[in-house]
Amino acid sequence: MHRLRYLIGTLTLIAAVLGAVWIVRTLRHLDDRPGLPLQIEFRDARGLRGGADVRYRGVTVGTVRTVSIAGDGDKATASVLLEPTGAAQACVNSAFWIVTPRFAGLTGGASGLDTLVRDAYITFQTPVERGSPLVAGSLLAGREKPPVSPEPEALDEIQHGDLLMSLLVPENHGLRPGSAVIFRGTQTGDVRSVELAADGTFVEVKLRIARRYRQTVTDKCQFWVARPYVTGALFSGFTVTDVSALLSPYVSYYGDPGQGVFVQDGYRAAAQAVRPNVEAAAVPLEALRQKQAAPAPVADDLVVVRVVYAAIERDTWSADDPVHHEGTGLLFVDRSGRSVVVTARSLVDGSYTEQDAFGGDPEIEDEQIKVMLADGTVLRAGRVWVHNGGKDLAALVVEDVPPDLRGTASARLRFEGPVEGTGTLAVHCAGADGAVLPPQALSAGEPVPLPGHLGGVVTAAEQALGIYGCQKQHGTEPTVVSLELLPTDLRPK
Amino acid sequence: MTAAMQPALDFRNFGLAHRRPGGEEVLLSAVTLSLPARRFYLFLGTSGGGKSSLLRILAGLVESREPAPRLSGDLLAWGESMTTHRPESMRDSVAAILQDEGLLDELSPRANVEIALRAAGRSRRLAPGLLAQAGLVDPPERTAELSGGMRKRLAVARALASSPRLLLCDEPTAGLDAEAARTIAQLLRLAHDQDPDRTTIVITHDIAAFEGRIDGVLVLDRDARSLRLEPPGFRPTYAAGAKVDESPAGEPEAVHWLRRGLLRLAAAGETVLESWRRLPPFELGQVARTVVRFTVEPAAFVAIAGAVIGGLGTFFALRNNPIHGGFESALLTGTGKVSTAVLVPLLSGFFFTARIVAGAAARIGTMKRTNQIAALQMMGVRPADYLLTPLVWGMVIAMPVVTLGGVVAAAGAAAMAADLVSGITAVGWAEAYFATVDANDVLVVLGKTTLSGYLVALSCYHLGTGPKRSGAEVGEAVNAAIVVGMALVLAVHASLTFLVYG
Repeated sequence: MHRLRYLIGTLTLIAAVLGAVWIVRTLRHLDDRPGLPLQIEFRDARGLRGGADVRYRGVTVGTVRTVSIAGDGDKATASVLLEPTGAAQACVNSAFWIVTPRFAGLTGGASGLDTLVRDAYITFQTPVERGSPLVAGSLLAGREKPPVSPEPEALDEIQHGDLLMSLLVPENHGLRPGSAVIFRGTQTGDVRSVELAADGTFVEVKLRIARRYRQTVTDKCQFWVARPYVTGALFSGFTVTDVSALLSPYVSYYGDPGQGVFVQDGYRAAAQAVRPNVEAAAVPLEALRQKQAAPAPVADDLVVVRVVYAAIERDTWSADDPVHHEGTGLLFVDRSGRSVVVTARSLVDGSYTEQDAFGGDPEIEDEQIKVMLADGTVLRAGRVWVHNGGKDLAALVVEDVPPDLRGTASARLRFEGPVEGTGTLAVHCAGADGAVLPPQALSAGEPVPLPGHLGGVVTAAEQALGIYGCQKQHGTEPTVVSLELLPTDLRPK
Repeated sequence: MTAAMQPALDFRNFGLAHRRPGGEEVLLSAVTLSLPARRFYLFLGTSGGGKSSLLRILAGLVESREPAPRLSGDLLAWGESMTTHRPESMRDSVAAILQDEGLLDELSPRANVEIALRAAGRSRRLAPGLLAQAGLVDPPERTAELSGGMRKRLAVARALASSPRLLLCDEPTAGLDAEAARTIAQLLRLAHDQDPDRTTIVITHDIAAFEGRIDGVLVLDRDARSLRLEPPGFRPTYAAGAKVDESPAGEPEAVHWLRRGLLRLAAAGETVLESWRRLPPFELGQVARTVVRFTVEPAAFVAIAGAVIGGLGTFFALRNNPIHGGFESALLTGTGKVSTAVLVPLLSGFFFTARIVAGAAARIGTMKRTNQIAALQMMGVRPADYLLTPLVWGMVIAMPVVTLGGVVAAAGAAAMAADLVSGITAVGWAEAYFATVDANDVLVVLGKTTLSGYLVALSCYHLGTGPKRSGAEVGEAVNAAIVVGMALVLAVHASLTFLVYG
């Protein structure tokens, strides 16, 4: 009576089984992502695990899917999947190796120290002369060690004013591009390249000394390749010097203060074969002299700077609008030692001043903030704080500050109390060339116009206590925004 | 043999046995009997002897998900064998009045008759006449308000709608007082006499009600496992404790369970096939009402749930990330793509399923338990037309609509939370929101909810129409429908999310 139903039941069972198989197969291949699958063989997988990164120039461009023992037991095979960006960089002559902590003795230095606290990963390098692109499923022989020298791109860019010189050493004790150049224990530069001379009689090491330290190099300086060096006898006591070179060899040099003349770019010096017996001169007595107590505040201690702001406001429906503001800011050093400029938010924040066509938040991009000092020096600054409550107050931190940059003396700053009722107010501004302009008195009868005075430093009784800004966002009416709104961590000690 | 002389039922060495795990329960064995047509028979026998089973076989109401009774020999209805399959001619010529009547309580008495007339291809305008003939001149508007006697009358009126050649009645006077029972017996006799070709078989224990109105008595002798025909004046004497033969010679238990499993699978397959074959609505108004009901009933529930999720997500995301990138992360975690395309639709699907499936499964399960579904089958109405089609349309349309409502509520609450926590304007919020959510996300939501709505409808119908011997089984079916429905929602949302965003 149910014959047809038994048939339908059987067909349903078959359909269910086929459906289950299809679902399992689909789920199994769910993580199949577009990319280039590769097999890389190593003699030692060094603890590499599935899920580890594959990196190129420090960027993760793939994943290690599995790590297994090869069929003959001689090798470990890592199956990796390179993402399209990584696949575009890999070619048949790329060198793949596993990054783990390595210490290669006196000559090799230490590398892969980041994997002390995280899993091992694979990285690769592709030479300038690229080979053929890799095809899916390629089996590559991985390197057991990193290549001898990293690529020069790993080094910092040479800045204008840096000293470029060559050091001729009888033997390279593991120096490589990137090795440090040390003066009195402070890194003053780095090694740019290491090349054996054409006739094989010496090794030429090209050095870069940073601009701010180039005065430490004179023609009387002695150079050597630092490596651990033991002096003395076992029972009479011995000294081990340059122990830090155990991890990574470096170039060291020393010259007595006041000896010799400064050298020019291209200067060539011969290094000592062994560490010379030099002892750093004692700290000069002048340096021990206590610094003079800060002089009593004078008018010059108020440091006002010119602030220039530029940005682009992106607009979906019309052409992008350039945003450009100029005004004044108050410079001082905060408790962390940073050079802080306090100014009006409407001067340095496009999202505060601009309005979207539909009343929404504007899309501000490519913001640049520059600070011009009284001597015309232009420095870059970043906006680190704005007042959350919408008051027209912002703080910038100046970058790459010259060591001699001086800020407003803390005695001339007042962060407590209201502005009102503090006596005669004056606004101090910086001109277009950074030079300080004569102060203008603030009186209720003749208000100082906001344009040209935006961000000006408002003082009373020789103390800066506010910033000349707008009463509200998108407003045009001027007001004095009290410095008491500034958070304590941005104030001087 | 002329048609006039042809017996209505002709048992030839006929046997009937229920298949049980590990054995068979033999009810009839080697029965040879001719039942002349155009007569009014009482069918007597002890309870559990197999009268109702035989009636269900004749009416074509064998439970499709249980192994069918084993039939042997031959049983001819008007000369056509029905032991291997039910003849097509029987489909329109047999009507049965079941013990529970199987009236569709949600329809009016008139609509109950009209649906039977429509299924029989007859005019609906005949309904008042049939009701009047059954003594229901001005019935109440709701079938549920009918008394026991009126329900029996309505069942008779509905059974006569197809003008059957064989009218089967299972305990039509059960639960009625003697006066009402005699009235029903008289009504049945009148209905029998109305059509000279009609043969009527009434299963009853109330012989007195039919006194003087019968042409013969069909007796099922449980001890002898046989049928015999007795004259109208026959009075039975039932032997107490009659023994049922449990034959161990039946098929092995494993085969029984295999049969059962295949039948259950077949039922699942049939549900899927029916959902496609019966997709065009049988009654457009019923489908429209179902869609509206499925949309309106859970809407507030889902909207509130969506608003709570979206609002809380944004509130905490913004509060805990007040500095750089906080707004963007809030959009991603609270109100953006994750919320719109994944979280809120999934939870809305759960809430919708919990709210709608429980009611629908309970309704269908109760209809199965009270023989309403059997009555539909009896009338020639496909249960899928009446139950599955509206369910599928209702779920497939209402679930996406309700879910989108939940998403909109979540987005609105998120905008309010953003304003509350961070003072973000509605326009600013909307710009950021639509920077993360695009039309593709809405399409994914529609795809997930439509597919899960369809599967939930199938599971609800399939579980509701399974065998129901007790109220507890109805409750279990409701519970199973909710759990399976939610599991299907989860599976569909998870798999489509992985496929699209994985």
